[in-house]
Amino acid sequence: MKGTMKRSLVGLALLGTAMSTAALAEGPTSADLMNDAETTGDVLTYGLGPQAQRFSPLDKVNTGNVARLVPAFASSLGGEKQRGQESQPIVYDGTIYVTGSYSRLYAFDARTGEKKWQYDARLPDGIMPCCDVVNRGAAIHGDKIIFATLDAHIVALNRNTGKVIWNKTMADYRAGYSATAAPLIVKNMVITGNSGGEFGVVGAVTARDVDTGEVIWERPTVEGHMGTLRGKPNGISGKTNASWTGDLWKTGGAATWLGGTYDPGTNLVYFGTGNPAPWNSHLRPGDNLYSSSTVAIDADTGVIKWSYQTTPHDGWDFDGVNEFIPFDATIGGKPMKLGAKADRNGYFFVLDRTNGKFISANRFVAETTWANGFNPKTGRPNYVADNRPGAPSGTEKGKVVFSAPSFLGGKNWMPMAYSKDTGLFYIPSNDWGMDIWNEPIAYKKGAAYLGAGFTIKPTHEDHIGALRAMDPATGKIVWEYKNKAPLWGGVLTTRGNLVFTGTPEGYLKAFDAKTGQELWKFQTGSGVVGSPVTWEQDGEQYVAVMSGWGGAVPLWGGEVAKTFKEISQGGSLWVFKLPK
Amino acid sequence: MLTRRGLIAGLAAGAALLPATRLGAAPLARVQELGVLRIGVYRDNRPWSWSENGGAPQGIDVDLARALAATLGVRAEVVEFLAGEDLGDDLRNVVWRGGLLGFQPCDVMMHVPFDRRLQIDNDQVVLLAPYYRENFAAVCGAEQSDCDVPPPQFKGKRLAAELDSIPDMYLLGGFGGVLRSDVRHYPTGDAAVRAVRSGEADVAVATRAQVEHVTAEPNSQGLKRRRAPLQAIMSPGWDIGLAVKENSRSLGDALDRTIEAMAADGRMTALFARHGVEWKPAVAAQPAGE
Repeated sequence: MKGTMKRSLVGLALLGTAMSTAALAEGPTSADLMNDAETTGDVLTYGLGPQAQRFSPLDKVNTGNVARLVPAFASSLGGEKQRGQESQPIVYDGTIYVTGSYSRLYAFDARTGEKKWQYDARLPDGIMPCCDVVNRGAAIHGDKIIFATLDAHIVALNRNTGKVIWNKTMADYRAGYSATAAPLIVKNMVITGNSGGEFGVVGAVTARDVDTGEVIWERPTVEGHMGTLRGKPNGISGKTNASWTGDLWKTGGAATWLGGTYDPGTNLVYFGTGNPAPWNSHLRPGDNLYSSSTVAIDADTGVIKWSYQTTPHDGWDFDGVNEFIPFDATIGGKPMKLGAKADRNGYFFVLDRTNGKFISANRFVAETTWANGFNPKTGRPNYVADNRPGAPSGTEKGKVVFSAPSFLGGKNWMPMAYSKDTGLFYIPSNDWGMDIWNEPIAYKKGAAYLGAGFTIKPTHEDHIGALRAMDPATGKIVWEYKNKAPLWGGVLTTRGNLVFTGTPEGYLKAFDAKTGQELWKFQTGSGVVGSPVTWEQDGEQYVAVMSGWGGAVPLWGGEVAKTFKEISQGGSLWVFKLPK
Repeated sequence: MLTRRGLIAGLAAGAALLPATRLGAAPLARVQELGVLRIGVYRDNRPWSWSENGGAPQGIDVDLARALAATLGVRAEVVEFLAGEDLGDDLRNVVWRGGLLGFQPCDVMMHVPFDRRLQIDNDQVVLLAPYYRENFAAVCGAEQSDCDVPPPQFKGKRLAAELDSIPDMYLLGGFGGVLRSDVRHYPTGDAAVRAVRSGEADVAVATRAQVEHVTAEPNSQGLKRRRAPLQAIMSPGWDIGLAVKENSRSLGDALDRTIEAMAADGRMTALFARHGVEWKPAVAAQPAGE
């Protein structure tokens, strides 16, 4: 009797093992990821689709009922570690996956908010991150949930258990490299950029096998550097030293720290690139390609198909890392395959996404002192020469130049959204400027140095932040919502004619997508600098966002700090729905 | 007459005046009770502090750190840290707050420029005990037989400098930019000087300590120091000292006395000489008018 019982228990256990193994192997395929924008029951990609339009076809929550939106639950990230929560949740099969500050990843039950597991990357204590300890999100594929860590690793975890499947070093953190962006998954490849190492870094985009983490191709984003494909040389990026002086191309900068987007139609991945090095533009004449650009790379071969430079010869630390969002529109009566980018430099660019051809650039912030528009024939900025920071002299405090936007940008990392319904882009922007000058004597690594001094300051009494609805066909701002503190969170738009975004003051807010009228807000207890998402579950529409104030803004004080000095830190996932 | 100690007191007074109660803190006693002095040194900063293949840190700052701990009768815990984008980052990460990822603050940080402006901008620390006067220098290899020519005459030669340093800006931006396309970039000034020694470059501009350290090595006979000044170099030189937390003045005073004694009795000269560098007293450590 006893023996029989035992045997049947063993049988049950075996059955259980077989079932869980099958479940482990299942999960979203690359095809599912490509279709994410259409599937409302999940959020599989950073940006709700590889194009990252951040548009959901859900309309159960809409302008008529959003005022009744209430919390379903909130889940704390716990621990003593708080600081900026810039993540976007991923939702799949009853689980919400979200990354936290300090390279943590959590799995929460999507119905109850109970924590299923938590993974804390073991980070070396010697990392000194430049710009807070944020992470912007994970990628999901099959049985894996994948994210990048502050010590420049990329880690694939089993999404059911949180156990490590593979862990690869992207770059050496001791050389100043780091990683904070959400990975992009295309055709079973995990595609990432690189970040950190303000000096000496060479930007690159890397594609890895999603199952093993092994590198498939790598594409440097500075002219003169050799790319690779399956371990073999795959051609030099651009033409060596065509737009640089001396050997500066060897350490050119152009880090791809914000990740990328993908358009299945052209099979191109689009990555923005950072500013060139050294910082002072007078020391490096030339365009310094491909710094402060958007680079379009063939997903199969890792070869650059086109590039467009938003700030040639960048002298303001504008970067060009902002996301490039593919969209289709009819301009001048002609249906076109386009892409749009709201740049740190204050201009909203529309390009032909098949070839990078310049279509238009229009200001989306109150003021751009560095350039007076773009030349439509050449696609280059009309610089205002007097407003370029001066050459370093070392003898005296250099000329003070007022520059707008500030180096934190007309728009920083926070992603905008595009509505297929209204045809508008919703840009989380900031109106601010900076005084910038050359410091006669500063110090770096114990040695005399010529740095730049700067003070960031608001340019308007009533706001720094402004959520703006931009018509890409006309370049006109259709509506704007002004916010006292700088906006630093992502945007979501829906078929319910809604636009959601968060504020440092702690609110998640909903606006009418056509008029900009504020329809709802909820105080989450700390600043919202994450990106909201929405999905349908058990017949109801849910909205989720991370709360937790931080990021780069609190690191630069001055007058700007007055707008957020009372905001406390936090670290929670908030989930909302309509009451039944 | 302005004494060394008077000048140092003056520098500290430039910082925000601190509540008297906090001045009474006794970290010296605490250090002695624990029996260990935690000292932060820059990673990869040869000849001051560096390590090879995971070995123990070595260099002038490391030796000096050990000597300081020894005079307090405690063990030296020398920890290397990554340089930030400016000194304010380093003072925050190493001295008064610690790193965001668990790097514990040090009792003292080596190799901090002793500068009034830096003190005013960083009032959470006290800068003290200036122990060396640094400046920039140049060195030439066999291909550049006359190292004392006006720098524009280096045109066409292979010029080496640490990326994004004053020597880099001097060569890239100075003299109307005529030398710009000749500049080769290296991760450190030490590497730039070694490039001249190996024949990879003709002229290097680096700190005097970097130049002397490599030049003093046995296989450096081909290197020639520039004797003429570097015209229009953007820095006249600077003093290097220590930093402690603003409430660690008792510790700072003890370290200051040790540095002063080592300067006076020849130990400092000998310590520097072991690394091939001629010790030069800090300007702030000398009586005014001298």
